[in-house]
Amino acid sequence: MKPFKKIAIMFLAAIALAGCTVKAVGDPNRPITINANVVVDIRGLKQTATSIEDMVAQGAVK
Amino acid sequence: MKHFRTTLFSLGLVVLAAMPLCRAADYDFKELTPEIKKALQDRQTRYAQIQELKREGVIGENNKGYVTDLKNSSSASSLTVAENQDRRTIYKNLATQNKLGGNGLLEVQRAFAEVQRDKAATGDMVQSSSGDWKKKS
Repeated sequence: MKPFKKIAIMFLAAIALAGCTVKAVGDPNRPITINANVVVDIRGLKQTATSIEDMVAQGAVK
Repeated sequence: MKHFRTTLFSLGLVVLAAMPLCRAADYDFKELTPEIKKALQDRQTRYAQIQELKREGVIGENNKGYVTDLKNSSSASSLTVAENQDRRTIYKNLATQNKLGGNGLLEVQRAFAEVQRDKAATGDMVQSSSGDWKKKS
């Protein structure tokens, strides 16, 4: 495989992995609605939940 | 040598692109409203009572991130209702402030339920994700 082709494939794979921003241009009087799926990172949520629960426990009235 | 450099460069691109995926997303309160502050403070105030009721097996942590009155105790009932209202305030605000979408509240509840199960003391009643209640061992 030619080096350029290889880089191009890897770059496209990288974009597919990381996601990309889509910019929509249209008539301001007829706004475009884009329905997007929100991906929730459960690991991040668990970290937040842990710190909130720690805070509740540590600040508890004895 | 040229082939090696190309491969290295390509790998670098993939690693750079994948970096945000390796870090857990940062969810937090963007604004600590009086409603959230009150919910947190009230939870701190009743924390010891909640722990006591858990030790006695009167209440348990369910799989939705809330406490359940397992023995229909009148003394635990009002405390359970108040605790769950405050938890809901916290969950709802986390979901909306972080723009977690339509299923955001459910995801927040699921995460808190898992954390409550992890934090439960030995002997506390906990509900598994499948719905079974058991004493934490």
